[in-house]
Amino acid sequence: MILLSSVSKFFGQKKAVDNISFKTKGGEIIGFLGPNGAGKTTTMRLILGYLKPSSGKISIGEFDPIENRIEVLKQVGYLPENNPLYLEMKVKEYLNFIAQAKNDNQWQKVAIDVGLGDVLLKKIEELSRGFKQRVGLAAALIGNPKYLILDEPTSGLDPLEQEKIRFLIKKLGQKKTIIFSTHILSEAEAVANRLIIIHKGKIVYDGKKPKEKGGVEKLFKLKVKNQN
Amino acid sequence: MKNLIKKELSHYLNNPLGYIVIVLFGIFANLFFVKDLFLIGSASLRPFFLLLPWLLLVFIPSITMRSFSEEKKNNTIEVLLTLPYSETQIVLAKFFAILIIITIALSLTLSLPLSLLFLTKIYLPEVLVGYVGVLFLGASFSALSLFFSSQTKNQVISFLLSTIILFFILILGSDFLASYLPRLIQEFFVPFSFFYHFNNFTKGVLDFRSLFYFCSFIFLFLFLTILVLEKRN
Repeated sequence: MILLSSVSKFFGQKKAVDNISFKTKGGEIIGFLGPNGAGKTTTMRLILGYLKPSSGKISIGEFDPIENRIEVLKQVGYLPENNPLYLEMKVKEYLNFIAQAKNDNQWQKVAIDVGLGDVLLKKIEELSRGFKQRVGLAAALIGNPKYLILDEPTSGLDPLEQEKIRFLIKKLGQKKTIIFSTHILSEAEAVANRLIIIHKGKIVYDGKKPKEKGGVEKLFKLKVKNQN
Repeated sequence: MKNLIKKELSHYLNNPLGYIVIVLFGIFANLFFVKDLFLIGSASLRPFFLLLPWLLLVFIPSITMRSFSEEKKNNTIEVLLTLPYSETQIVLAKFFAILIIITIALSLTLSLPLSLLFLTKIYLPEVLVGYVGVLFLGASFSALSLFFSSQTKNQVISFLLSTIILFFILILGSDFLASYLPRLIQEFFVPFSFFYHFNNFTKGVLDFRSLFYFCSFIFLFLFLTILVLEKRN
Protein backbone atom coordinates (compact mmCIF):
# COMPACT_ATOMS: atom_id res chain seq x y z
CA MET A 1 0.00 0.00 0.00
CA ILE A 2 1.11 3.52 -0.85
CA LEU A 3 -0.15 6.01 1.70
CA LEU A 4 0.04 9.79 1.52
CA SER A 5 -1.30 11.67 4.51
CA SER A 6 -1.68 15.47 4.41
CA VAL A 7 1.37 15.87 2.23
CA SER A 8 2.45 19.32 1.11
CA LYS A 9 5.50 20.47 -0.78
CA PHE A 10 6.80 24.01 -1.07
CA PHE A 11 9.42 25.24 -3.50
CA GLY A 12 10.32 28.53 -1.87
CA GLN A 13 7.02 30.36 -1.53
CA LYS A 14 5.28 28.26 -4.17
CA LYS A 15 3.04 25.46 -2.95
CA ALA A 16 3.43 22.69 -5.52
CA VAL A 17 1.48 20.07 -3.57
CA ASP A 18 -1.18 21.17 -1.13
CA ASN A 19 -2.28 18.86 1.67
CA ILE A 20 -2.96 15.76 -0.42
CA SER A 21 -3.97 12.40 0.99
CA PHE A 22 -4.69 9.12 -0.71
CA LYS A 23 -4.17 5.41 -0.22
CA THR A 24 -3.73 2.67 -2.81
CA LYS A 25 -5.08 -0.86 -2.79
CA GLY A 26 -3.51 -3.89 -4.43
CA GLY A 27 -4.05 -4.34 -8.17
CA GLU A 28 -5.24 -0.77 -8.77
CA ILE A 29 -4.34 1.16 -11.89
CA ILE A 30 -4.59 4.76 -10.81
CA GLY A 31 -4.77 7.43 -13.46
CA PHE A 32 -3.24 10.57 -12.05
CA LEU A 33 -4.80 13.35 -14.08
CA GLY A 34 -4.19 17.03 -14.13
CA PRO A 35 -3.20 19.96 -16.31
CA ASN A 36 0.47 20.91 -16.74
CA GLY A 37 1.95 22.20 -13.51
CA ALA A 38 -0.78 20.63 -11.38
CA GLY A 39 1.66 18.75 -9.15
CA LYS A 40 1.55 15.24 -10.65
CA THR A 41 5.30 14.84 -11.17
CA THR A 42 6.09 16.44 -7.80
CA THR A 43 3.75 13.98 -6.07
CA MET A 44 5.40 11.05 -7.80
CA ARG A 45 8.85 12.28 -6.82
CA LEU A 46 7.67 12.64 -3.23
CA ILE A 47 6.44 9.03 -3.21
CA LEU A 48 9.87 7.85 -4.37
CA GLY A 49 11.77 9.91 -1.83
CA TYR A 50 13.47 11.82 -4.65
CA LEU A 51 11.97 14.92 -3.02
CA LYS A 52 11.28 15.42 0.67
CA PRO A 53 7.80 16.60 1.68
CA SER A 54 7.56 19.95 3.46
CA SER A 55 4.91 18.41 5.69
CA GLY A 56 2.85 15.25 5.97
CA LYS A 57 3.66 11.60 5.91
CA ILE A 58 4.27 9.10 3.11
CA SER A 59 4.70 5.36 3.39
CA ILE A 60 5.25 2.61 0.85
CA GLY A 61 4.40 -0.64 2.58
CA GLU A 62 5.90 -0.12 6.01
CA PHE A 63 8.71 2.13 4.77
CA ASP A 64 9.15 5.87 4.76
CA PRO A 65 10.71 6.95 1.44
CA ILE A 66 13.04 9.41 3.19
CA GLU A 67 14.12 7.32 6.20
CA ASN A 68 14.22 4.03 4.26
CA ARG A 69 14.90 5.30 0.76
CA ILE A 70 16.79 2.22 -0.45
CA GLU A 71 14.10 -0.19 0.79
CA VAL A 72 11.39 1.81 -0.95
CA LEU A 73 13.35 1.99 -4.21
CA LYS A 74 13.70 -1.81 -4.22
CA GLN A 75 9.90 -2.10 -4.30
CA VAL A 76 9.09 0.63 -6.79
CA GLY A 77 9.70 0.78 -10.52
CA TYR A 78 9.77 4.31 -11.90
CA LEU A 79 9.53 5.80 -15.35
CA PRO A 80 10.46 9.50 -15.01
CA GLU A 81 8.93 12.32 -17.02
CA ASN A 82 10.55 12.64 -20.46
CA ASN A 83 12.23 9.26 -19.92
CA PRO A 84 15.88 10.31 -19.34
CA LEU A 85 18.29 7.62 -20.53
CA TYR A 86 22.05 7.16 -20.92
CA LEU A 87 21.96 7.55 -24.69
CA GLU A 88 25.56 6.48 -25.29
CA MET A 89 24.91 3.06 -23.75
CA LYS A 90 23.64 0.04 -25.63
CA VAL A 91 20.18 -1.22 -24.61
CA LYS A 92 21.71 -4.42 -23.23
CA GLU A 93 24.32 -2.48 -21.24
CA TYR A 94 21.74 -0.10 -19.77
CA LEU A 95 19.28 -2.80 -18.76
CA ASN A 96 22.11 -4.87 -17.28
CA PHE A 97 23.20 -1.82 -15.25
CA ILE A 98 19.65 -1.36 -13.93
CA ALA A 99 19.35 -5.08 -13.22
CA GLN A 100 22.58 -5.13 -11.22
CA ALA A 101 21.39 -2.11 -9.25
CA LYS A 102 18.17 -3.94 -8.40
CA ASN A 103 19.83 -7.33 -7.90
CA ASP A 104 17.89 -9.04 -10.64
CA ASN A 105 19.34 -11.29 -13.35
CA GLN A 106 16.07 -11.77 -15.25
CA TRP A 107 16.33 -8.58 -17.27
CA GLN A 108 16.44 -10.42 -20.60
CA LYS A 109 12.91 -11.75 -20.02
CA VAL A 110 11.65 -8.25 -19.22
CA ALA A 111 13.34 -6.91 -22.35
CA ILE A 112 11.62 -9.53 -24.52
CA ASP A 113 8.22 -8.99 -22.86
CA VAL A 114 8.45 -5.29 -23.61
CA GLY A 115 9.49 -5.94 -27.22
CA LEU A 116 13.18 -5.01 -27.08
CA GLY A 117 14.52 -8.40 -28.18
CA ASP A 118 15.73 -7.17 -31.58
CA VAL A 119 17.39 -3.96 -30.42
CA LEU A 120 19.46 -5.12 -27.43
CA LEU A 121 22.77 -4.49 -29.21
CA LYS A 122 21.81 -1.05 -30.48
CA LYS A 123 22.83 2.19 -28.82
CA ILE A 124 19.89 3.88 -27.10
CA GLU A 125 20.48 7.10 -29.08
CA GLU A 126 19.85 5.15 -32.31
CA LEU A 127 16.37 4.03 -31.25
CA SER A 128 13.07 5.60 -32.20
CA ARG A 129 11.10 7.46 -29.54
CA GLY A 130 8.77 4.52 -29.11
CA PHE A 131 11.61 2.11 -28.49
CA LYS A 132 13.30 4.52 -26.10
CA GLN A 133 10.06 4.62 -24.12
CA ARG A 134 10.08 0.82 -24.02
CA VAL A 135 13.63 0.90 -22.67
CA GLY A 136 12.47 3.23 -19.89
CA LEU A 137 9.51 0.96 -19.18
CA ALA A 138 11.71 -2.15 -19.15
CA ALA A 139 14.03 -0.42 -16.68
CA ALA A 140 11.03 0.31 -14.45
CA LEU A 141 9.91 -3.34 -14.63
CA ILE A 142 13.28 -4.89 -13.81
CA GLY A 143 13.36 -6.32 -10.30
CA ASN A 144 9.65 -7.24 -10.46
CA PRO A 145 8.62 -4.26 -8.31
CA LYS A 146 5.32 -4.31 -6.41
CA TYR A 147 4.54 -0.75 -7.40
CA LEU A 148 4.97 1.03 -10.71
CA ILE A 149 5.05 4.79 -10.98
CA LEU A 150 4.93 5.93 -14.59
CA ASP A 151 5.11 9.62 -15.39
CA GLU A 152 3.40 10.24 -18.73
CA PRO A 153 4.33 6.83 -20.14
CA THR A 154 2.91 7.50 -23.61
CA SER A 155 4.18 11.04 -23.98
CA GLY A 156 5.34 11.85 -27.53
CA LEU A 157 4.41 8.46 -28.95
CA ASP A 158 2.35 7.84 -32.08
CA PRO A 159 -1.18 6.41 -31.60
CA LEU A 160 -0.07 2.85 -32.38
CA GLU A 161 2.75 2.92 -29.85
CA GLN A 162 0.46 4.55 -27.29
CA GLU A 163 -2.00 1.68 -27.72
CA LYS A 164 0.78 -0.88 -27.19
CA ILE A 165 2.02 0.80 -24.01
CA ARG A 166 -1.54 1.11 -22.67
CA PHE A 167 -2.14 -2.58 -23.32
CA LEU A 168 1.07 -3.40 -21.46
CA ILE A 169 0.07 -1.23 -18.49
CA LYS A 170 -3.34 -2.92 -18.30
CA LYS A 171 -1.69 -6.33 -18.37
CA LEU A 172 0.79 -5.36 -15.64
CA GLY A 173 -2.02 -3.89 -13.52
CA GLN A 174 -3.36 -7.39 -12.92
CA LYS A 175 -0.45 -8.09 -10.59
CA LYS A 176 0.93 -4.71 -9.57
CA THR A 177 -0.26 -1.41 -8.17
CA ILE A 178 0.29 1.19 -10.87
CA ILE A 179 0.14 4.96 -10.68
CA PHE A 180 0.49 6.60 -14.05
CA SER A 181 0.17 10.27 -14.79
CA THR A 182 -1.26 11.72 -17.94
CA HIS A 183 -2.98 14.77 -19.24
CA ILE A 184 -4.60 12.72 -22.03
CA LEU A 185 -8.09 12.08 -20.75
CA SER A 186 -8.83 9.25 -23.19
CA GLU A 187 -5.77 7.42 -21.92
CA ALA A 188 -7.03 7.56 -18.34
CA GLU A 189 -10.40 6.37 -19.59
CA ALA A 190 -8.87 3.44 -21.44
CA VAL A 191 -6.44 2.20 -18.81
CA ALA A 192 -7.26 3.30 -15.26
CA ASN A 193 -9.77 1.80 -12.88
CA ARG A 194 -9.42 4.66 -10.41
CA LEU A 195 -8.89 8.34 -11.03
CA ILE A 196 -7.16 10.98 -8.99
CA ILE A 197 -7.51 14.44 -10.46
CA ILE A 198 -5.06 17.00 -9.20
CA HIS A 199 -5.22 20.72 -9.90
CA LYS A 200 -3.06 23.52 -8.47
CA GLY A 201 -1.53 21.00 -6.07
CA LYS A 202 -4.83 19.83 -4.60
CA ILE A 203 -6.76 16.61 -5.18
CA VAL A 204 -10.12 17.62 -6.62
CA TYR A 205 -11.39 14.10 -7.29
CA ASP A 206 -10.45 10.67 -6.05
CA GLY A 207 -12.71 7.81 -7.01
CA LYS A 208 -13.86 5.33 -9.59
CA LYS A 209 -13.67 6.07 -13.27
CA PRO A 210 -17.09 7.16 -14.65
CA LYS A 211 -18.71 4.31 -16.56
CA GLU A 212 -20.19 6.27 -19.45
CA LYS A 213 -18.06 7.02 -22.49
CA GLY A 214 -16.54 10.51 -22.32
CA GLY A 215 -17.28 10.56 -18.60
CA VAL A 216 -13.66 11.20 -17.68
CA GLU A 217 -13.52 14.32 -19.83
CA LYS A 218 -16.77 15.68 -18.35
CA LEU A 219 -15.60 14.94 -14.83
CA PHE A 220 -12.18 16.52 -15.44
CA LYS A 221 -13.63 19.70 -16.91
CA LEU A 222 -16.14 19.97 -14.08
CA LYS A 223 -13.59 19.49 -11.31
CA VAL A 224 -10.91 21.71 -12.81
CA LYS A 225 -13.43 24.45 -13.69
CA ASN A 226 -14.85 24.36 -10.14
CA GLN A 227 -11.36 24.73 -8.72
CA ASN A 228 -10.68 27.71 -10.96
CA MET B 1 29.02 0.01 -6.08
CA LYS B 2 31.18 -1.91 -8.57
CA ASN B 3 28.26 -1.64 -10.99
CA LEU B 4 28.21 2.15 -10.62
CA ILE B 5 31.99 2.45 -11.07
CA LYS B 6 31.80 0.27 -14.19
CA LYS B 7 29.05 2.48 -15.61
CA GLU B 8 31.06 5.64 -14.89
CA LEU B 9 34.19 4.19 -16.50
CA SER B 10 32.31 3.06 -19.59
CA HIS B 11 30.84 6.59 -19.81
CA TYR B 12 34.36 8.07 -20.00
CA LEU B 13 36.01 5.37 -22.06
CA ASN B 14 33.21 4.91 -24.61
CA ASN B 15 33.68 8.50 -25.60
CA PRO B 16 36.57 9.41 -27.97
CA LEU B 17 37.01 12.67 -26.04
CA GLY B 18 37.98 10.65 -22.95
CA TYR B 19 40.84 8.98 -24.82
CA ILE B 20 41.94 12.26 -26.42
CA VAL B 21 42.22 13.99 -23.04
CA ILE B 22 44.18 11.09 -21.51
CA VAL B 23 46.57 10.85 -24.46
CA LEU B 24 47.09 14.64 -24.54
CA PHE B 25 47.93 14.56 -20.85
CA GLY B 26 50.49 11.81 -21.49
CA ILE B 27 52.01 13.69 -24.42
CA PHE B 28 52.36 17.01 -22.62
CA ALA B 29 53.64 15.43 -19.40
CA ASN B 30 56.36 13.58 -21.30
CA LEU B 31 57.18 16.53 -23.56
CA PHE B 32 57.59 19.19 -20.88
CA PHE B 33 59.89 16.99 -18.85
CA VAL B 34 62.00 15.60 -21.68
CA LYS B 35 62.62 18.95 -23.38
CA ASP B 36 64.67 20.23 -20.40
CA LEU B 37 66.06 16.91 -19.15
CA PHE B 38 69.59 17.29 -20.49
CA LEU B 39 69.70 21.00 -19.62
CA ILE B 40 68.99 20.19 -15.97
CA GLY B 41 71.66 17.50 -16.07
CA SER B 42 70.22 15.60 -13.14
CA ALA B 43 68.56 12.18 -13.10
CA SER B 44 65.72 13.29 -10.91
CA LEU B 45 62.02 13.29 -11.56
CA ARG B 46 61.47 16.18 -9.19
CA PRO B 47 61.05 18.76 -12.00
CA PHE B 48 58.50 16.41 -13.58
CA PHE B 49 56.52 16.08 -10.36
CA LEU B 50 56.62 19.86 -9.83
CA LEU B 51 55.20 20.32 -13.31
CA LEU B 52 52.35 17.83 -12.90
CA PRO B 53 50.04 19.96 -10.69
CA TRP B 54 49.74 22.49 -13.52
CA LEU B 55 48.80 19.77 -15.99
CA LEU B 56 46.36 18.20 -13.54
CA LEU B 57 44.85 21.68 -13.02
CA VAL B 58 43.43 21.46 -16.54
CA PHE B 59 43.20 17.69 -16.98
CA ILE B 60 41.10 16.85 -13.93
CA PRO B 61 38.38 19.52 -14.27
CA SER B 62 38.06 18.52 -17.94
CA ILE B 63 37.24 14.92 -17.00
CA THR B 64 35.11 15.70 -13.94
CA MET B 65 33.07 18.55 -15.44
CA ARG B 66 30.64 16.04 -16.95
CA SER B 67 30.23 13.97 -13.77
CA PHE B 68 27.19 15.65 -12.30
CA SER B 69 26.66 18.58 -14.66
CA GLU B 70 25.81 16.37 -17.61
CA GLU B 71 23.58 14.13 -15.47
CA LYS B 72 21.69 17.18 -14.20
CA LYS B 73 21.36 18.66 -17.69
CA ASN B 74 20.06 15.40 -19.20
CA ASN B 75 18.06 14.62 -16.05
CA THR B 76 19.67 11.19 -15.77
CA ILE B 77 20.42 12.23 -12.18
CA GLU B 78 16.78 11.34 -11.52
CA VAL B 79 17.41 7.82 -12.88
CA LEU B 80 20.45 7.47 -10.63
CA LEU B 81 18.74 8.80 -7.51
CA THR B 82 15.70 6.55 -7.98
CA LEU B 83 17.81 3.39 -8.11
CA PRO B 84 18.55 1.63 -4.82
CA TYR B 85 21.87 3.41 -4.34
CA SER B 86 22.63 5.89 -1.60
CA GLU B 87 23.94 9.36 -2.40
CA THR B 88 27.24 8.32 -0.77
CA GLN B 89 27.60 5.34 -3.11
CA ILE B 90 26.88 7.49 -6.16
CA VAL B 91 29.47 10.14 -5.20
CA LEU B 92 32.11 7.58 -4.23
CA ALA B 93 31.58 5.63 -7.46
CA LYS B 94 32.14 8.77 -9.54
CA PHE B 95 35.20 9.65 -7.44
CA PHE B 96 36.80 6.21 -7.77
CA ALA B 97 36.08 6.12 -11.49
CA ILE B 98 37.93 9.42 -11.90
CA LEU B 99 40.83 8.07 -9.80
CA ILE B 100 41.07 5.10 -12.14
CA ILE B 101 41.18 7.47 -15.15
CA ILE B 102 43.94 9.50 -13.43
CA THR B 103 45.89 6.31 -12.75
CA ILE B 104 45.58 5.31 -16.42
CA ALA B 105 46.81 8.75 -17.47
CA LEU B 106 49.72 8.66 -15.01
CA SER B 107 50.71 5.22 -16.28
CA LEU B 108 51.49 6.94 -19.60
CA THR B 109 54.24 8.84 -17.77
CA LEU B 110 55.93 5.69 -16.46
CA SER B 111 58.09 5.79 -19.57
CA LEU B 112 60.04 8.63 -17.92
CA PRO B 113 61.40 6.83 -14.85
CA LEU B 114 61.83 3.66 -16.94
CA SER B 115 63.91 5.56 -19.50
CA LEU B 116 66.01 7.16 -16.79
CA LEU B 117 66.53 3.73 -15.23
CA PHE B 118 68.16 2.59 -18.49
CA LEU B 119 70.41 5.67 -18.68
CA THR B 120 71.54 5.97 -15.06
CA LYS B 121 70.74 5.18 -11.46
CA ILE B 122 67.64 6.74 -9.99
CA TYR B 123 66.41 6.61 -6.41
CA LEU B 124 63.25 4.48 -6.78
CA PRO B 125 61.65 5.27 -3.39
CA GLU B 126 61.75 8.96 -4.34
CA VAL B 127 59.93 8.15 -7.59
CA LEU B 128 57.35 5.96 -5.83
CA VAL B 129 56.63 8.55 -3.15
CA GLY B 130 56.42 11.19 -5.86
CA TYR B 131 53.73 9.22 -7.68
CA VAL B 132 51.86 8.63 -4.40
CA GLY B 133 51.89 12.39 -3.90
CA VAL B 134 50.56 12.95 -7.40
CA LEU B 135 47.74 10.47 -6.78
CA PHE B 136 46.75 12.21 -3.56
CA LEU B 137 46.95 15.58 -5.29
CA GLY B 138 44.86 14.25 -8.17
CA ALA B 139 42.32 12.82 -5.74
CA SER B 140 42.07 16.21 -3.99
CA PHE B 141 41.57 17.99 -7.31
CA SER B 142 38.92 15.40 -8.25
CA ALA B 143 36.99 15.80 -5.00
CA LEU B 144 36.83 19.58 -5.39
CA SER B 145 35.95 19.37 -9.10
CA LEU B 146 33.19 16.83 -8.36
CA PHE B 147 31.74 19.27 -5.84
CA PHE B 148 31.62 22.07 -8.39
CA SER B 149 30.17 19.73 -11.00
CA SER B 150 27.33 18.97 -8.57
CA GLN B 151 26.57 22.70 -8.29
CA THR B 152 25.67 23.38 -11.91
CA LYS B 153 24.11 21.93 -15.07
CA ASN B 154 26.67 23.78 -17.19
CA GLN B 155 29.88 21.86 -17.83
CA VAL B 156 31.83 24.97 -18.81
CA ILE B 157 30.96 26.71 -15.55
CA SER B 158 31.91 23.55 -13.65
CA PHE B 159 35.27 23.45 -15.47
CA LEU B 160 36.01 27.15 -14.93
CA LEU B 161 35.01 27.18 -11.24
CA SER B 162 37.12 24.11 -10.52
CA THR B 163 40.14 25.38 -12.43
CA ILE B 164 40.05 28.85 -10.87
CA ILE B 165 39.61 27.66 -7.29
CA LEU B 166 42.28 24.96 -7.71
CA PHE B 167 44.63 27.55 -9.18
CA PHE B 168 44.23 29.78 -6.14
CA ILE B 169 44.79 26.93 -3.71
CA LEU B 170 47.87 25.91 -5.72
CA ILE B 171 49.45 29.35 -5.55
CA LEU B 172 48.71 29.90 -1.86
CA GLY B 173 52.06 30.13 -0.15
CA SER B 174 53.89 30.63 -3.44
CA ASP B 175 56.55 33.31 -3.90
CA PHE B 176 54.27 35.00 -6.40
CA LEU B 177 51.53 35.57 -3.82
CA ALA B 178 54.05 36.27 -1.06
CA SER B 179 55.06 39.46 -2.82
CA TYR B 180 51.49 40.78 -2.54
CA LEU B 181 50.28 39.53 0.85
CA PRO B 182 51.33 40.71 4.35
CA ARG B 183 53.62 38.19 6.02
CA LEU B 184 51.11 37.28 8.74
CA ILE B 185 48.37 36.42 6.24
CA GLN B 186 50.82 34.58 4.05
CA GLU B 187 51.98 32.44 6.97
CA PHE B 188 48.37 31.64 7.82
CA PHE B 189 47.56 30.43 4.30
CA VAL B 190 50.76 28.53 3.52
CA PRO B 191 49.77 25.33 5.40
CA PHE B 192 46.58 25.20 3.31
CA SER B 193 48.46 25.29 0.04
CA PHE B 194 48.71 22.20 -2.16
CA PHE B 195 52.34 22.91 -3.02
CA TYR B 196 53.36 23.22 0.62
CA HIS B 197 52.29 19.60 1.18
CA PHE B 198 53.03 18.22 -2.25
CA ASN B 199 56.67 19.44 -2.14
CA ASN B 200 57.49 16.84 0.50
CA PHE B 201 56.34 14.06 -1.80
CA THR B 202 58.48 15.37 -4.68
CA LYS B 203 61.53 15.10 -2.40
CA GLY B 204 60.64 11.49 -1.63
CA VAL B 205 59.44 12.30 1.88
CA LEU B 206 56.24 10.59 3.05
CA ASP B 207 55.04 13.19 5.53
CA PHE B 208 51.95 11.97 7.40
CA ARG B 209 50.85 15.54 8.11
CA SER B 210 50.65 16.09 4.36
CA LEU B 211 48.80 12.79 3.91
CA PHE B 212 46.36 13.96 6.59
CA TYR B 213 45.94 17.29 4.77
CA PHE B 214 45.09 15.60 1.47
CA CYS B 215 42.78 13.04 3.10
CA SER B 216 40.94 15.82 4.98
CA PHE B 217 40.60 17.85 1.81
CA ILE B 218 39.23 14.86 -0.09
CA PHE B 219 36.85 13.96 2.72
CA LEU B 220 35.59 17.55 3.04
CA PHE B 221 34.67 17.97 -0.62
CA LEU B 222 33.21 14.49 -1.03
CA PHE B 223 31.11 15.12 2.08
CA LEU B 224 29.93 18.45 0.68
CA THR B 225 29.05 16.78 -2.63
CA ILE B 226 27.02 14.12 -0.81
CA LEU B 227 25.25 16.90 1.11
CA VAL B 228 24.42 18.70 -2.15
CA LEU B 229 22.79 15.52 -3.49
CA GLU B 230 20.92 14.88 -0.25
CA LYS B 231 19.62 18.44 -0.09
CA ARG B 232 18.33 18.32 -3.66
CA ASN B 233 14.92 19.57 -2.58
